[in-house]
Amino acid sequence: MKRAIHLFIIMFLLLNLLTGCWNRRELNELAITVGLAIDKSDDEFLVTAQVVNPGQVAAKQGGGQKTPVTTYQEKGSTVFEAIRRMTTRSPRKLFFPHLRIFVISEEIAEEGLGRTLDFISREHELRTDFYIIVAKDTRAENVLEVMTGLEDIPANKLFSSLEASERAWAPTMAVTVDELTTDIVTKGKHPHLTGIQVIGENRRIGGRLENVQEIEPDVKLKYSGMAVFKEDKLIGWLDEEGSKAVNYVQENVISTLGEVPCPEEKGKVAIEVIRTKADLKGRVEDGLPKGTVKIQVEGNVGDVQCKKLDLTKTKTIDDLEKRAEKKIEKLIESTITLAQEEFKLDFFGFGDAIHRSNPDYWKKAEKDWDEKFTDMPIEVEAVVEIRRLGTIGNSPLEKIKD
Amino acid sequence: MRRIKKSLKNRRSQSLPTQNDEIKNKEHLTGNLKENIQKVKEETGNSDDIIVREIRTGKERKLNAALIYTDGLIDNRSIQDFILESLMFDIQDIETDKKPSSKENQLQQLKDSVLAVGDLKDITDYNTLFTSLLSGHVILLLDGYTQGFAIGMKGGKVRGVSEATTESTVRGPKEAYSESLRTNTSLLRRKVNDRNLWLETKKIGTVTKTDVSIAYIKNIANDKVVEEVRQRLDRIEIDGILETGYIEELIQDETYTPFPTIFTTERPDVTAANLLEGRIAIFVDGAPHCLIVPALFVQFFQTADDYYQRADIVTLLRILRFIGFFIALLGPSLYIAITTFHQEMLPTPLLINLAAQREGVPFPAFIEALLMEVTFEILREAGVRMPRTIGQAVSIVGTLVIGTAAVDAGIVSAAMVIVVAITAISSFIVSSFNLSISVRMLRFVFMGLAASFGLFGISIGLLALTLHLCSLRSFGVPYMSPLAPFNMEGQKDVLIRFPRWALFSRPRLINQKNLKREDVSSPKPESQKRK
Repeated sequence: MKRAIHLFIIMFLLLNLLTGCWNRRELNELAITVGLAIDKSDDEFLVTAQVVNPGQVAAKQGGGQKTPVTTYQEKGSTVFEAIRRMTTRSPRKLFFPHLRIFVISEEIAEEGLGRTLDFISREHELRTDFYIIVAKDTRAENVLEVMTGLEDIPANKLFSSLEASERAWAPTMAVTVDELTTDIVTKGKHPHLTGIQVIGENRRIGGRLENVQEIEPDVKLKYSGMAVFKEDKLIGWLDEEGSKAVNYVQENVISTLGEVPCPEEKGKVAIEVIRTKADLKGRVEDGLPKGTVKIQVEGNVGDVQCKKLDLTKTKTIDDLEKRAEKKIEKLIESTITLAQEEFKLDFFGFGDAIHRSNPDYWKKAEKDWDEKFTDMPIEVEAVVEIRRLGTIGNSPLEKIKD
Repeated sequence: MRRIKKSLKNRRSQSLPTQNDEIKNKEHLTGNLKENIQKVKEETGNSDDIIVREIRTGKERKLNAALIYTDGLIDNRSIQDFILESLMFDIQDIETDKKPSSKENQLQQLKDSVLAVGDLKDITDYNTLFTSLLSGHVILLLDGYTQGFAIGMKGGKVRGVSEATTESTVRGPKEAYSESLRTNTSLLRRKVNDRNLWLETKKIGTVTKTDVSIAYIKNIANDKVVEEVRQRLDRIEIDGILETGYIEELIQDETYTPFPTIFTTERPDVTAANLLEGRIAIFVDGAPHCLIVPALFVQFFQTADDYYQRADIVTLLRILRFIGFFIALLGPSLYIAITTFHQEMLPTPLLINLAAQREGVPFPAFIEALLMEVTFEILREAGVRMPRTIGQAVSIVGTLVIGTAAVDAGIVSAAMVIVVAITAISSFIVSSFNLSISVRMLRFVFMGLAASFGLFGISIGLLALTLHLCSLRSFGVPYMSPLAPFNMEGQKDVLIRFPRWALFSRPRLINQKNLKREDVSSPKPESQKRK
């Protein structure tokens, strides 16, 4: 009995060591933060947090009195300081594990992400499943101050719309903090982030309920283009085509669209890409680096505008495949040229491929790799296979007389 | 704790007052009938349910005799037909004494040819006289003899065999034990027609002198366990046994545990099945249940239906029961832990929903849960204790309290109502009432742990619970077997119920001998069997 009592006391004392989570917080004491934006203000960081107003989101009668989210803003010489200072404005302490989106301003991106990334990777409350985006042509705080229609919580809209477009439309890319950090520190590779734009004339309306009381909101959020980084510094933007090419090469394309002009007339044939495979290789020949990119694409015929195209013939399909291959090759080649001539930056990651195939050469070339990359010959090869025609055969256009 | 135990022991060692009486009553019957009758009347305080009928018997009606019996315990018609008639009339026709009979001879003749009854024994002292008299025997005393007869003639009103109420099944026999020990053992005999089914009966309780029977199948049950049961029953010194619960508390291995280490059942078929597995049943006269030892933890998840239905559905139901057990045990505590410590574990939309429900709720989640759980326990207890006719009123009030009214009043959140409701339902899925009581108690412990330490607290609690369960023993058998100590063969009847033909061995830790149950392999046509 005495032993049992001693054991009990020991166990109880040991229990106290396990109080790592001694931070009991009731649900109504949390400020659930779903979005964070970081801007530059003079020499300090200006942090904007988008916090959910649960009563308005889950209200049975549709709420309507108050906005579903609210934002808090504070300055600080570090991101952490700004966040802690926010408690002077917010009634509750910010709760980060449910963060969905992290917006970085263009200005900060140009100066380098390093100083902000440390906090978001170090802070234990932050998970790594939120996406990082760059505000394009606007301040990051503005991105979090736009009401959205279908999704009540704007940060959720940003999150799901990035996921959806990454899956169905190649030129965007959902990047999490650990992926970003890996890309920054890996030699021979450079990160990309998708850009976000605020569209609309009257920006003051964006943050009001009125904005979503119309069918077509005045102020909208739209993903566009891809920011190219040199290590952690933003050096330029790729347009839609360029972003697509990068995603093709890096095997990020899940599904997208490719267009091929009709062979004999005006109009186009759209091909829905359903599966892609990319093979990026680097080798060294006679002391000079060489690269090859091989893209395999499987697709379906998605939209036909040509009258004279007989899709029932295998020859037509072969022909379409050839044209699509040319199109993709051209797309990628032109983006490579852009990288080599304009950016002078290997944002495709050929350096990483060379590193893997020929580590000895890489050790010598590592320091001035981006210079070497500008002269590197790269072969591009695309193989397109068209699998299905959809639910109809030849286009009904065939039967329509002009 | 030690002091409490000591004081418990001290009280037990005080001698019971009735023991002196017994020594006094050891005295022999006298030869004088009048004196004997006088003595019986005195000792029973002239209770008017003790009937004394004086008659004259013998060839020339010279012999004075007396029948003494307790009214209500005796079948009155049988006394009339088989004792009174025989002694008063039939005795005339019987050629009794060819030789001048000695007194011994006369008694022998009475036994041999007059009394047409089955259960008859000699009595010589007052002690046996009173015990027999008060347990449904008719006492026959003869003038001039220091010996009498006790004639078993139990009768009177007892409740008949009725349908099982707490262990109902879909398929299978409906009968359940009633209060009469003999009825209960006969129900068991009807299931097991084997001479190896042995019954041992002893009287326990210095005042009540209740019949307690041990039943076991001789060539299956472990002799050591049988001996242990015997010894534990012998050690009982108590004034009365009114229910199996008395025996259970006096013979169980461990008192300070929330878990039952003795299985109870009200079904003869369950008893028979357990005896076939080598267990021992203890019947108590006056109790419509029997105790079964040794009991295992997993046994409380097995129902009679499990062995009457198809194996596949039984397996699913059993897994469901284990899930129900864990929900009943951990439901509210997991909710408390996750919503107050580990909000990051919830999907965002769910978190926002829950947070919205909690807006305006004044109490922390723990108090909220406690409030609802206590309310539910009050309702449940009220449901058991109150007269059945008011039942409906309570259920109406109950649905108001644990329902939307509580949510609308802003006292609790809607999610908490759901958690409490699912927990309550799950606690009923645990087939054994005994086990669901322990779950009910432990639930509150876990809620406390969750409120102060979160999931860590729950893990520590589960760890301690597992250690405790593994330390328990029931009549020498580890309580958690066949899970711990692990036994592969035993797994065939734990989570998964194997088909009947695969369950060919008895639980190894309960039996030491006669492990094999049957000699069948899978019931395939003869041609497909592998030689």
